[in-house]
Amino acid sequence: MATVLIENLTKIYPPTITYPHRVQALGGVNMSVTGNVFVAVLGPSGSGKTTLLNIVAGVETPTSGSVRAVQDGVPAQVGYVFQEPRLLPWRTVLNNMLYVQDRKSDRSRREAEFYLTMVGLNEVAHLYPSQLSAGMQQRVGIARAFLVNPDILLMDEPFSHMDALTGRSLREYLQRVWLHTRKTALFVTHDVSEAVELADRIVMLRPGGVVFDDIPVNLPRPRHPDDPAVRAVEGEVLRRFDSMEAAVRFGAQAG
Amino acid sequence: MLTVPSVTPDAISELSAREMRRAVVRRWLFRFSVLIGWTAFIGVWYLFSRLVFNPQQLPEPHVVATESWTIITEQDVRTHMQASLLRVLAGFLLAAVVSCGLGWLIAYNAWWRTLLRTIVQFTVSTPIVALAILTLVVFGVSSLGPIITTAVVATPYIMMNVAQGLTGVDRRLIVMSESFGRTRSQIITGVLLPSSLISVLAGARLAFAVAWRMELLTEIFAASEGVGFQIRRSFESYDVRGMIAWTVLYIVVMLIFENLVFRQIERRLQGRTA
Ligand SMILES: Nc1ncnc2c1ncn2[C@@H]1O[C@H](COP(=O)(O)OP(=O)(O)OP(=O)(O)O)[C@@H](O)[C@H]1O
Ligand SMILES: [Mg+2]
Repeated sequence: MATVLIENLTKIYPPTITYPHRVQALGGVNMSVTGNVFVAVLGPSGSGKTTLLNIVAGVETPTSGSVRAVQDGVPAQVGYVFQEPRLLPWRTVLNNMLYVQDRKSDRSRREAEFYLTMVGLNEVAHLYPSQLSAGMQQRVGIARAFLVNPDILLMDEPFSHMDALTGRSLREYLQRVWLHTRKTALFVTHDVSEAVELADRIVMLRPGGVVFDDIPVNLPRPRHPDDPAVRAVEGEVLRRFDSMEAAVRFGAQAG
Repeated sequence: MLTVPSVTPDAISELSAREMRRAVVRRWLFRFSVLIGWTAFIGVWYLFSRLVFNPQQLPEPHVVATESWTIITEQDVRTHMQASLLRVLAGFLLAAVVSCGLGWLIAYNAWWRTLLRTIVQFTVSTPIVALAILTLVVFGVSSLGPIITTAVVATPYIMMNVAQGLTGVDRRLIVMSESFGRTRSQIITGVLLPSSLISVLAGARLAFAVAWRMELLTEIFAASEGVGFQIRRSFESYDVRGMIAWTVLYIVVMLIFENLVFRQIERRLQGRTA
């Protein structure tokens, strides 16, 4: 069973030439995620969501605090879906998939094809990324993350660059693939309805990278964005955001 | 009322047939324009040797062609051509190897970047004749001199393009590779190389063009064989015909070489990234 344990995580970016101030991206985040759950990290732009995922993925180092991502005691394999597709433009779709695999065998190829079929892209496996639409490219990104058989799935606003219709159908794809594997998932978003549609639990961040709320979502799957129950939870989450906003504004006035 | 134009399969195949014909015509027009270019060049050459100079100063094209043929059939073209070509290649390869390292430094280290940029400005603005003479002074008459000088002259071009290629690499692709646990060498061959290849190739082409001119020039001063040496010998015996004939032969070989190697690589690359 996979576990992500985040303790007192702080990330402060040092000043740069273009922006000579320190930036606190994360300010002491505590959270733990265990088992086959889908957790959404919800927060406005600049609240340190990407930074959080990068640290969990091990491509960024924390300033202080610790992150442990383990699977049965050993470091967990992560699968990362980025904000943009991040495909290698000089490789075909299939070869982009094979790039993240350690062994190159008939089996790994079949696995790649399996996940491409899952996102409805087996037909275009021989095309180059530039020959696909943005939505199709992002689907390759999703298939690629599942392909490495990750213990933990990290997703960074994968649908935020899509138009509403494409995003809607991609969420459906994602739900389908996730239900098939039920990997521990950390899904970053600033879209409330997306979070409610997909997650078992919503962790809310506010600017400065501080957790201010943690809401369980107990709704049956598969979920539909127009379902009244989904709408109701959405309303609840939004209310809590408003109270956070008010608190922040009030705090600012008091200080 | 609105009429919707219907597109029948026939119409489509008719259309693509027309496009195909157009493409063929365009290709022939292109070849034709190349032919016109060459004809114009030779024509201007005739004009110059008849009207501006006299045939003793600038032999006519057909005279040079005959002379070239004589050289090919009667003299030891292979030895000299091979000597020159090998030196160009050796110098070029040396430059390529050094450039990869230096380009890396320029891309990732601010201190080296400043230093090497200054040196590049210096070497690029040094007259190559001065370098050629300096080669003679330092290395004497040998093979090593032309090779080193060629490498020195070619290096800035490849180096700057390697650096440009590397800094142009999308950082996010590297982060992606790292998050999927790719090793350093996998990232180099999978991301860094392919993404900087086009820029590196452009630099290599430029460097090659510079290299083979530099090589010829140094040979004129500091070699005992090779095309440049032959040109000097012809010059010393007031044999203008021979000089130009050797030059033409050299140009032809280099053009063939360039077309065979660089064009082919470029064509492959373009096919892949299109
Ligand atoms: N490499 C960096 N260097 C300096 N500052 C950074 C860097 N990356 C992020 N930041 C800063 O850290 C803060 C958090 O950034 P982050 O990208 O994690 O936010 P985010 O929640 O993902 O935002 P968005 O929703 O817009 O993607 C921002 O203020 C950002 O300017
Ligand atoms: Mg982000």
